[in-house]
Amino acid sequence: MSTEELRAVDSDIYLTVQRFLYREAALLDKRDYSAWLKLAAEDIHYCVTVAVAQDAAAKPVRYSIVEETFSGLKARVEQISNPRLTRAENPPSLTRRVVSNVEAYHTELANELLVTSYLLAYRMRPQEPEGGFYVSERDDVLRRDGSGFRLARRTVRLDQTMLFGGALSALL
Amino acid sequence: MSKRQENHDDWVDVQRGVVSRDIFVSDEVFKLEMQKIFDSTWSFLAHESEVPSPGDFVLRRLGSAPVIVVRDGDGTIHALLNSCRHRGAAVCRAESGNQRHFVCPYHGWTYERSGRLITTTFDRHLPSDFDFQEHGLPRVPRLENYRGFVFASWNENAISFDAFLNDFRWYIDPFLSRSPGGMQVLAPPHRWRVKANWKIGALNFVGDSQHILTTHVGPLTLDPVWSARAGLINRPANSFQVATDCGHGCTLVYLPPGLPDHLYQTHPADLEPLYRATLREGQPDMLRHLRVIVGTIFPNLSFIETQVGPAQKAIIFRQWQPISGTEMEVLSWVLAEKEAAPEYKATVLRNGFHNFGAAGVFEQDDLELWASATAASDNPISKRFPYSFHTALPYMNSPEKDDHLPGRIFKPTEVEVAQFEFMRQWLQCMTA
Repeated sequence: MSTEELRAVDSDIYLTVQRFLYREAALLDKRDYSAWLKLAAEDIHYCVTVAVAQDAAAKPVRYSIVEETFSGLKARVEQISNPRLTRAENPPSLTRRVVSNVEAYHTELANELLVTSYLLAYRMRPQEPEGGFYVSERDDVLRRDGSGFRLARRTVRLDQTMLFGGALSALL
Repeated sequence: MSKRQENHDDWVDVQRGVVSRDIFVSDEVFKLEMQKIFDSTWSFLAHESEVPSPGDFVLRRLGSAPVIVVRDGDGTIHALLNSCRHRGAAVCRAESGNQRHFVCPYHGWTYERSGRLITTTFDRHLPSDFDFQEHGLPRVPRLENYRGFVFASWNENAISFDAFLNDFRWYIDPFLSRSPGGMQVLAPPHRWRVKANWKIGALNFVGDSQHILTTHVGPLTLDPVWSARAGLINRPANSFQVATDCGHGCTLVYLPPGLPDHLYQTHPADLEPLYRATLREGQPDMLRHLRVIVGTIFPNLSFIETQVGPAQKAIIFRQWQPISGTEMEVLSWVLAEKEAAPEYKATVLRNGFHNFGAAGVFEQDDLELWASATAASDNPISKRFPYSFHTALPYMNSPEKDDHLPGRIFKPTEVEVAQFEFMRQWLQCMTA
């Protein structure tokens, strides 16, 4: 998605966007998934992609490892938030999501903003000697909802060609 | 060490129904597996639809060695050692792409897609008897494109591929290809590493029915289709597991007979005539009545076709590539019939990796527990206590009689016979 022709938001809006992203990351780190899910629009499209190593002259290739609508996202959340229904997240992972390099733009729709950010997500599985990082760039579409926002679209582009540490159970 | 290697009785104890933990963690055993199994028998390399056009290639591993799987100008698929004959650099470092030639980035030796050496760039300084024919990229000597699936072996004397699959073809063929166009890989394979021994994955897919309701209680509870049919699944009287020669095995869980017709309609109705036109008698009915099939082609290619989620079934193929005694790399492909509608393919792909991909809701719980089993077994005290396959013992010498089904058939599905048969074949390879 090219952001060159888009108009950046003013400082006031920027701060509300930044606060939304911080709050949302904190909810995931606290594992308050039901509160997090309330920030998702009912028509959300949530997608995580991984890169394929290609020749530098060739067209970049990515493929999805997660592609969910609201119901799929809800099922994932119900699985990892219920101690009885998850092995991967029981005992829970210790996570810390650091959000940075936030940029926010107006779009063609008056009630939607395009927000790009970098995400450094640390995940430590209990009893493992060391944690790991999921490093990514995200494109979000935030939709106005009263005085706040709802997440209408999220595309997470992982800086990885292979996942280490088993299958991804965390939301990014 | 040498003494231990001479006596492998404790690796797979057929009398007691137990298997050594050491073989699930040891790097020594891993090195021997590379030699005795992965560099000796047939292994899966790639699906032909991953390299549809001349020059298309993907990088894979065959046994212990890196290979390029490339389509030549005449349509032939070659598998070449990805290491320059000059000083060893990988001549190709992208995971996939399209190349006319392979030019080594180190000193410029240049190869055709068939592996033939074209120039060393310093040909004028070569001795006059330098033989270009002898210095191509080594071609994997045995290669078989079976129903679109490319298998290969470094062992020139390996048995024929047909003899290798043999009876297992009856079970696997409908999942390899079942329409005139054959199957198509719907996206690049998901790849992930997990600190678990490769055999855990292979055994899981041969038919570890005992783990399903414990490991996967989450997605099964949350999935509306599964929940609605749980009663049916718990009464799989017509289900069975199979072991065939050479270590292949699978588990077939059927829907019960006599259900309303729409419950059997888990494949698109417009594809079913293609199945009937392509498959052998009995196979289209098997497809129609199966709830799930899961299996492993020895040693490390597994597959599953199941209906989880609201839509139709999805076929997933899965390769467990050993990295060490305690780590593997997993590749996972989702496939559909080439003739299928684009929307159907998109649904199959999404459902496939929602459940069984690098972030799959089934995968995440499996991998956590496989890594746990590997870590908790990798110490001298744990190794005193072998893994239990005891539920194989009462059944392994009494296969069911069935005139229509090849291989050794065992019921019920939740015993460990097929898994134990896999381990017996493993032992046979390792001690040959």
